[in-house]
Amino acid sequence: MTLQRRLWIVLLLTWSLGPLLWQLYTSFSINEALVTPFADLPQRWTFAHYQAVLTGDPPFWRYLFNSLIVGAGSTVLTLIIAIPAAYALTRSQARISQVARVVLIGAALFPYVLLFLALLEVARSLNLGNHLLALTIPYAALSQPLAILLLSSAFRDLPIDLEEAATLEGLDLWQKLRWVLIPLIAPATTSTAILVFLFAWNEYPIALTWISDSNLLTLPVAMARIAGSSIYSVPYGAYAAATVLGSIPLILLVLMFQKSIVSGLTSGAVKG
Amino acid sequence: MTALLIPAALLLGLVFVVPMLRYVWLSGHADSVLTGLVAIPNQGANWVRLLNDARFWQDAAQTLRFAVVSVGLEILLALAIALLLDQRWRGRGAVRALTLIPWALPTTVMALGWRWIFNTPYGPLEQVSGLLGGPALNILSNPSISWLATVFGDVWKTTPFAALILLAGLQTIPSDLYEALKLEGASAATCFKRITLPLLQPYIALALLFRLAQAFGVFDLIQVMTGGGPAGSTESLALYAYLNAMRFLDFGYSATVMMGSFLLLISLCIICWICLQSLQRRLGRA
Repeated sequence: MTLQRRLWIVLLLTWSLGPLLWQLYTSFSINEALVTPFADLPQRWTFAHYQAVLTGDPPFWRYLFNSLIVGAGSTVLTLIIAIPAAYALTRSQARISQVARVVLIGAALFPYVLLFLALLEVARSLNLGNHLLALTIPYAALSQPLAILLLSSAFRDLPIDLEEAATLEGLDLWQKLRWVLIPLIAPATTSTAILVFLFAWNEYPIALTWISDSNLLTLPVAMARIAGSSIYSVPYGAYAAATVLGSIPLILLVLMFQKSIVSGLTSGAVKG
Repeated sequence: MTALLIPAALLLGLVFVVPMLRYVWLSGHADSVLTGLVAIPNQGANWVRLLNDARFWQDAAQTLRFAVVSVGLEILLALAIALLLDQRWRGRGAVRALTLIPWALPTTVMALGWRWIFNTPYGPLEQVSGLLGGPALNILSNPSISWLATVFGDVWKTTPFAALILLAGLQTIPSDLYEALKLEGASAATCFKRITLPLLQPYIALALLFRLAQAFGVFDLIQVMTGGGPAGSTESLALYAYLNAMRFLDFGYSATVMMGSFLLLISLCIICWICLQSLQRRLGRA
């Protein structure tokens, strides 16, 4: 490997991970060390920030748990609705699927934060506020464009003979989907699932306006709340500890599902 | 068969179409604390107010500036990262996974992290500047530069996405094209200009359009990192709409701001599309 390339790689990793490593350093530092980093301190490391975060009210793992519920629920709901729709789209007339593609791409491009006020009104009138699982409804809806586009391109790639053979065997539509087609698109389903999960885990404006009960906050909202209202009184040490704890599950997820994430993000770009 | 489409269509209608219709209706009504939170038709007064609202136009300019600068930087950086990851070297897969991490984290998680990194006087940047004998930077309290800090945070988080799209584009380019041109004695720079850029162009357009639309709706980062300050200098349109609804409790006007933002975004997309098309024609001729 050339020296020049090695330099670029180091630069890239510093750029990507540097800010996170700084948070890691902050989370283990006592406040004096943060305020005067070059002072000669006898002891500069501490677990106190983690202790404060983990024994808070509610304890930090609660937010992780809430986000996990919302993420898992949204993923399941999205797939239940998107898989049949994606299949129907690949088997419908070219004109219909063409129009549907344009509509879905438009919806995927739409900055959904602009929808929050009307969605909040829906939540109020249907009494959906402060229910974790209620969040899965808008999340599943916002995930439909991506999910349908990814899954329908996977269905399209399956050979049509396979389906005809299944029909000759006397399988009805449901059996065909359940035993033949859905198992074959498993890679695309995994990609979709992980992308939807990440979206639901990270979503902020809707969770911010729908949930006010501090025991039900999802991770992104809880993080923003730690910041409080003043720029000057943010407890950065505790916050950094929360950053580290909140990042670990996502970092593991990215490292484990790297291939699925990459193929999910790029298959749309390559084919469309 | 079409019955299978119905649940998805209903869900999309509920979350995209119903809100937009609701905004059209609300933007024609006064609905705020002053009216006792009852909607009263006000004959387009919201729209007149929007056209004369200096804060709306300032936020529109700020949002546009933010979106254009951060997406521009992102694409350049993403191109460099994609070119690096497109070459063959050991550990490439691991590095690609690590560069994805910023994209996967919730925006709010690092938004406060940036606030700490740019903090005056205790943040690392200030400390280093102080150590080198430099002046206090006051990045987040200086209205003329604090928006650049938000651009930085946005570029850090969203570059991996653009890089992946461009990398996917690079991998569709057959390598014999390069070999053919190299046989003619062309330099690496010529190869880049004659092969890479033209063939990558649709992917750049895709990443550009997608990221521009998202950057135009920026909310999480601004709300948490600066709260729109100092002096409203980093406030985005989405944040202004949010403040109108949640802080000023003026739902009629908030809906009007959202509609206005949406119309501006559509015009921006159309302008971009036309520019890209003409650029494509020029590249095609060259």
